[in-house]
Amino acid sequence: MTPQPPPHPAGWLAQAFALLGKDVRAEARTRVAVSAVGVFTFSALLLIGLATLTLKEVRTVNLLRLVDPITVASVEAQMRPAWDPPAKFGLLWVLLCFAAFTGLAHSFVHEEEAGTTMALRLAMLPQAVYLGKLLFNLVLITVVALLVTPVYMMMTGMPAGNPLLFLCVMMSGCGGLASAATIVAALAAKARGTGALYGAMGLPLLVVFLMLLINAANTLYTLHPAPLRVVRDVGGLLSYSVLLIALSSLTFHFVWEE
Amino acid sequence: MDYTTEEVCITLQDVAHRFGHRPVFAPVCTQVQSGQVLAITGPNGSGKSTLLRIIAGLLPATRGTVTITVGGRVQDAFQRRRFIGYVAPDLTLYRELTGAENLLFFARLQGVALSREALAALLATVGLRGRGRDPVRTYSSGMRQRLKYAFALLHRPPVLLLDEPTANLDRDGRAMVEDLIARQRARPDGVVVLATNEPEEVAWGDIVVHLEGAR
Repeated sequence: MTPQPPPHPAGWLAQAFALLGKDVRAEARTRVAVSAVGVFTFSALLLIGLATLTLKEVRTVNLLRLVDPITVASVEAQMRPAWDPPAKFGLLWVLLCFAAFTGLAHSFVHEEEAGTTMALRLAMLPQAVYLGKLLFNLVLITVVALLVTPVYMMMTGMPAGNPLLFLCVMMSGCGGLASAATIVAALAAKARGTGALYGAMGLPLLVVFLMLLINAANTLYTLHPAPLRVVRDVGGLLSYSVLLIALSSLTFHFVWEE
Repeated sequence: MDYTTEEVCITLQDVAHRFGHRPVFAPVCTQVQSGQVLAITGPNGSGKSTLLRIIAGLLPATRGTVTITVGGRVQDAFQRRRFIGYVAPDLTLYRELTGAENLLFFARLQGVALSREALAALLATVGLRGRGRDPVRTYSSGMRQRLKYAFALLHRPPVLLLDEPTANLDRDGRAMVEDLIARQRARPDGVVVLATNEPEEVAWGDIVVHLEGAR
C-alpha cells in the first residue's frame, strides 16, 4: 500500500447529514425511539379520547337533569374553559413534549451506552454531532406531530384556526422541542443519569417553551389577531428555537469533549 | 497522484494525569518519530490506556504537554485526530449496522471516497473478506477487533495508537497486526504507539516506556 497523507475530513454539514443518515438507518433497524414514542403517544391518545368521551357524557347528563337555564349556562361556562381551542392545543403539546422526551433522549443516550461516542469523537467535529442529532430529533418529532395532530384534532374537535398560522406554530413548536430535547439529552447522556436527570434538566426549558406555545396558541385562535401580535407570539416561539440552537452550538463542544 | 509524506513526531513532555486527587501515573517524557514504535507497558491500572487517550487528544493531561508535529507543524487536539488511527477495547462500532455500513459511514465522515473495491480490499486486509454485509452484532469478539483495525486504517493515518493490539485475536489475527505494524513502520511518516502487557508485543517497540502508576 502506498503511503498517502490522510484526507481532509468532510465539512461539518456533510458530517451532520452523514450522522442523520446513520441514525435513520439504525432506527429503521432497531425502532427503539419509534417504539418508545409510539407506545407513549398511543396510550396518551387513548386516555385523552376516554376523558373526552366521559366529559361529553357528564355534560349531556347534567344538561338533561338541569331545567334551570341559568344553571345550565353556569355549568357550560365552567366546562368551556377546559376545552377551549388554546387549552386543547396546549394539551396536544404537553402530549408531544412527553412523547419527545420519551424518545428523543435515545439518540445521545444510545451512543453513550453503546460506547460509540469515542469513534464519533475521533471522526467528527462537535458541531456536526450536535447538528446531526438535532436533525434526527427534528425529523422524529415532526413525523410524530404529523401522525398525532390529525387524530387528536378529530378526537377533541380542536380547530386549526388560520391554517397558515397553525402550520407556522406547529413547525416552530417542533423546532423548539427538538432543540430543547437535543441539548438536554446530550447533557443527561454525558452525566450518565439518563432517566430522572433528563426530566429534571428538561423542565426549565420546557416550562418556557410551553408558555411561549400557549401565547402563540392564544393568538392562533383569536379572530383577526393584530399582525404585531402574530409576529410577537409566533416570532417569540421561533426565537426560542433559534436562541437555543445557537447557544447549544456554542456550548456543545464543552459537553461533548468533557 | 503524487503523495508527499511528512515527518511525524510525537513528544510527551512531563505528561501526567490524575482522576480527582488520585494520580494515575508518574510524569512521562519521551519522543517517537516516523519509522519508530513506542511500546507503553505496565501493570493493570498503571494508566496505559489513559496515556493513549491523552496522545489521541481524547483526554486532556492534567500535567505536561503532548505535541504532535506533522512536517514540523504542531497539530492541536482536534487536528491531530485526523492523523490518528485508534484501536482500543473501549472503542465500539455500531452493532446495528453491518461491517461495511460502519466503514462507509466513517469514511464519509473522514472525507474518504471508499469505492466498492477499496472497501473489499480493506476488509480483506483485516481478515473480514466476505463478512462486510453481516451485522456487527453477529460478529465474534475477534471479528469486532478486526473491524476496529479497518476503522483505524480507513483514512490511512500516519499515527496508529493501539491499546491491547492483539486482544481477542487468533494466531492469524496476531500475524495481521504484526504485519500491519511492520508496514506502518516502513512508511516514511508512520508511527505506532502501542499499550500492552504481552512481552512479545513489547519487543516490537523501538522505545519502551514502563508505567508503574503513581502513588
